[in-house]
Amino acid sequence: MSPLDGQFGIKKIIALAAVAVFGPAHAEDDAADMAQLTKPDTATVSVGAAAVSGDSKNRSLFGQYNGLRKDDAYLLLDLDYIKRDDATGIWTILEGRDLGLNTREVRFLQQRQGDWKYYGEYSELVRYYPRTINTSLQGAGTTTPTVTLLPVRGTGQDVDLKTERKSVSLGGEKWITPNLMFEATFKNEDKDGARIFGRGFNCPSGTAPTPACTALAAGANQWAILLLPEPINSTTRQFEGKLTYVGDKLALTAGYYGSFYINDNGSLNPTVVGNLNNPLGNPLGQNGSVPLTAGLRGILQLPLALPPDNQAHQFYLSGNYAFTPATRATFKLGYTHATQKDDFASSGLTGAPAGVSNYGGVVNTTLAQLGLTSRPLPKLSLNASLRYEDRKDESPQAQYNIEGVNTFTNGTYSLKKTAAKLEGSYQLPANFRATLGVDYESMDRGQFSSPECIDLGDGSCLGDSVAGISGLRAKTDETGYRAELRKSISDTLSGAISYVHSRRDGSSWLMPNALPATGVTALSDSAIFNRTGIFPMIFMDRTRDKVKALADWSPIDRLSLQFTLEDGKDQYTAPTQKGLRDTAMGLYGVDVTYAVSEAWKLSAYYTYSEQTLHVSHSTGYIADLKDRNSTAGISLVGKPTGRLEVGADLLYINDRNIYAQTLDQLASAANAAFLAQSGGLPDVTFRDLRLKLFGKYALQKNADVRVDIVHDRQKLNEWTWESNGVPFAYSDNTTVGLNPNQNVTFVSVSYIYRWR
Amino acid sequence: MKSLRQVATMCAFIGALGGGASAVAAVSETPDGGKEATKDIVLKGDAKCTRCHDESDNPKLLAIGKTRHGTIADSRGPTCTSCHGDSEKHLTSPEGGQDRPHPDRYFGKNSITPIEERNTACLTCHEKDSKRSHWMGSTHQSRDVACSSCHQIHTAHDDVRDKRTQPDVCFTCHKEQRTQISKPSHHPIPEGKMGCSDCHNPHGSVGPKLMTRDSVNDTCYTCHMEKRGPFVHTHEPVAEDCSNCHNPHGTTAENLLKARPPFLCHQCHTPHGGQVAQLTGQRQSSALLGGTTSGKSGINYTMARGCLNCHTQVHGTNNPSTTNPTPQFNFR
Repeated sequence: MSPLDGQFGIKKIIALAAVAVFGPAHAEDDAADMAQLTKPDTATVSVGAAAVSGDSKNRSLFGQYNGLRKDDAYLLLDLDYIKRDDATGIWTILEGRDLGLNTREVRFLQQRQGDWKYYGEYSELVRYYPRTINTSLQGAGTTTPTVTLLPVRGTGQDVDLKTERKSVSLGGEKWITPNLMFEATFKNEDKDGARIFGRGFNCPSGTAPTPACTALAAGANQWAILLLPEPINSTTRQFEGKLTYVGDKLALTAGYYGSFYINDNGSLNPTVVGNLNNPLGNPLGQNGSVPLTAGLRGILQLPLALPPDNQAHQFYLSGNYAFTPATRATFKLGYTHATQKDDFASSGLTGAPAGVSNYGGVVNTTLAQLGLTSRPLPKLSLNASLRYEDRKDESPQAQYNIEGVNTFTNGTYSLKKTAAKLEGSYQLPANFRATLGVDYESMDRGQFSSPECIDLGDGSCLGDSVAGISGLRAKTDETGYRAELRKSISDTLSGAISYVHSRRDGSSWLMPNALPATGVTALSDSAIFNRTGIFPMIFMDRTRDKVKALADWSPIDRLSLQFTLEDGKDQYTAPTQKGLRDTAMGLYGVDVTYAVSEAWKLSAYYTYSEQTLHVSHSTGYIADLKDRNSTAGISLVGKPTGRLEVGADLLYINDRNIYAQTLDQLASAANAAFLAQSGGLPDVTFRDLRLKLFGKYALQKNADVRVDIVHDRQKLNEWTWESNGVPFAYSDNTTVGLNPNQNVTFVSVSYIYRWR
Repeated sequence: MKSLRQVATMCAFIGALGGGASAVAAVSETPDGGKEATKDIVLKGDAKCTRCHDESDNPKLLAIGKTRHGTIADSRGPTCTSCHGDSEKHLTSPEGGQDRPHPDRYFGKNSITPIEERNTACLTCHEKDSKRSHWMGSTHQSRDVACSSCHQIHTAHDDVRDKRTQPDVCFTCHKEQRTQISKPSHHPIPEGKMGCSDCHNPHGSVGPKLMTRDSVNDTCYTCHMEKRGPFVHTHEPVAEDCSNCHNPHGTTAENLLKARPPFLCHQCHTPHGGQVAQLTGQRQSSALLGGTTSGKSGINYTMARGCLNCHTQVHGTNNPSTTNPTPQFNFR
């Protein structure tokens, strides 16, 4: 018999005594556990280090946007602070993401739910252009670069272009009364850097007749193409203020949205020093040619206009109204006044028409939208909407275009766009719903119907000339029909299938009048004026057919499959044998999600898509372009133990762009021989195999360590900048290159600590 | 001794009762043998639900307390039945019985609650917001997309409201965009710097394709305002619709172009020059050699920036110069 045993059960007494002592502590633990489940309060810091393999050229695709291109090692720092005062309902939130990288974001917010809110955000984003430029260009990325001929291709300095965005956002809202709320947001974004840009010209040229661009005595052409990065130093500002009234039936918002673009740079002014290469890659002046002529040099040194400052102010009323619980309307009425009056001279741009110091651009846009939904019968729903947008370009006209003795005005672009929709849905048995709909869209570009002109007072009227285009069309209209069958509610199988058919046509085609006449002349299709011209695809008649199907199937609780199918074709016609013929797309995919167990989940998908485009080129060949893409992914996430969480994610992309060219009866013998000998354009291929692994281990209740490993293998074979080992060289021997095979391994270790 | 033991026993028992009160007093037995909670756990009036759905049943459900819905100080805040309905049949069904009826309104994948009824639960409060003013009649609403198809309520982290995880939610239905965003030319969506809702308002909008602003162009201009102009020399399809040339979700061609120049440009413009597309490193015939010495050669409008090697100001130019070469062909 144990000394601890007694008549009453001394053990019981001890047990009860233990509860008496430890009971409150146990209750406190319960309360703490419950708080962890129900309270948002948290303060978390994640600090770690990352290492990336390779060099910056080997990471140019991987590191385009994630801030991991330039260096080999990084500090990783994230923080989260959330506090809710349960008595007042005031939230205080501070978030910091990627604080050790140049893509950092910080956000602070305070909010009393149902009363007020204010927040501030700061973010940075850097985009690195993936290709490296090798050049002798001085001042790349400035407004005054200097071009000199690099003696040997590939021996210049490497230049990597990038654009950096830094933005600050502020916002707030206040419920003035239970039915009236005021909101305001402001965002300022500075964008700096440079992007790929350039210029080129051929002498002699119809747009630069003698004496500006003189033909050589030997009859040989001179041309030059230069890479000149566009310098970017700009600021955009956006402000929006809204007052919203919410009543029993009516919700109405009155708002103002202002947007402002300010560019510190007005023009790009290159200087070309010395000679340049001829089209065969040898310095001009060899084999009977002459060095770079003064005429062409002068043209290459003319200022290039950079984007001008511009502003837009929009005022609007929008909202909805419930006529009855089953019949509701939505609406919006808006007016936008946009201007561009950047001074030419201060932008370094000369030669403007006499008396004109800025463009004086004005575009006023009126928008009206009305939507109606109704349920006239328990099983029948109707949906209608009408949207009208009238963009009026009221920029003044002046004599901006002079070619020899011919003078023309600038062009303007106005557009009236009307879109309407009518749709009816009927609830069928077994949770099926059938929908029939009609869509209509009309675009009226009106200005081509008659030439606008400036009265010169001498009987002549200068108008807007149309050049560079074979034909125009003032109006296009498209009507589409839609049928859909859907099952949204089911234990095992739900999905939808839809079919869309639409046709677009328009008003008469308009032929640009031959110089020096301005304006256009309407012609019937039968009075074809150019069977070999390309008519713009945005005006062409179009027939569209598209099928889309989606099915979700859960044969058992733990398994879910999704099947996707999309197939469509657009066919284009115009009074020509040339131009865009048709485009098509197809997409087929399957997604699987499987709960292996309570702790493990597996998901996988495969998607195949193909897009095609057929264009008949007017010089005798037909381009048959195809983009074939296979994308597959598999992901496994689980908790092997109570403290350990792991995951693996594998992504595979195989993208192939085919540029097939075939010839028609108009093809020249030289083209035929060239295609036969060269095989035409090779395919452009892109492949990406990306493996992501992570493991998170709970060291203690409020501290984890996390390891991430990413291995990314990307292959991009394209002929844009190099082909068959021969780079495309600009006239100063500048070349652009990309490492076609890029393998990157990223490893990071982070320590995560939480305070409660 | 005996009395001392009795006193000790009594004290221990009283202490136990006091110490354990907070732990056990929340639950007591009901006449039908079920548990009846006397204290709410996370939302006002949740006691009748959390008597069963407590931390031992499914702790994840209680995470609603971590959200805006769980802010008790906000008098507008919901309780369980605000969204799930009064659910008397679900509540009064005997414990341990089979086939307990579902709540009046439930939101899981296999729910048979009509979509409109599920959405009514949310819209009762959330339609009073200018961001959702155009929900009725919008594409998602008319296609029977439930709020709970995208949003998670019983969790501190709603994936669709975090731009790093939002795209995966959208890709549940939008597979084409999933294949496009990982192509070499893309917006920073896979990097977690942009989400789908930076351009689209899934709750309805006046713009086409659920654009956040009233048109495709106005949406693009919020980040690319340098393209707005108007310019002295306009390139009209640019002012009409950015998506005439660009696919914003991702492309293999640079600059999010649907096709590379010259093929893109040859969908509208009759080309000059009589050559097929050519590349460096391909042997040109003598008849084409003359072509390669021209600025309009097949190599110059196929490689590098293609047609834009010369027609560089493809978005339009504000250059007012009336001297040759005048900029109306977007040379400068």
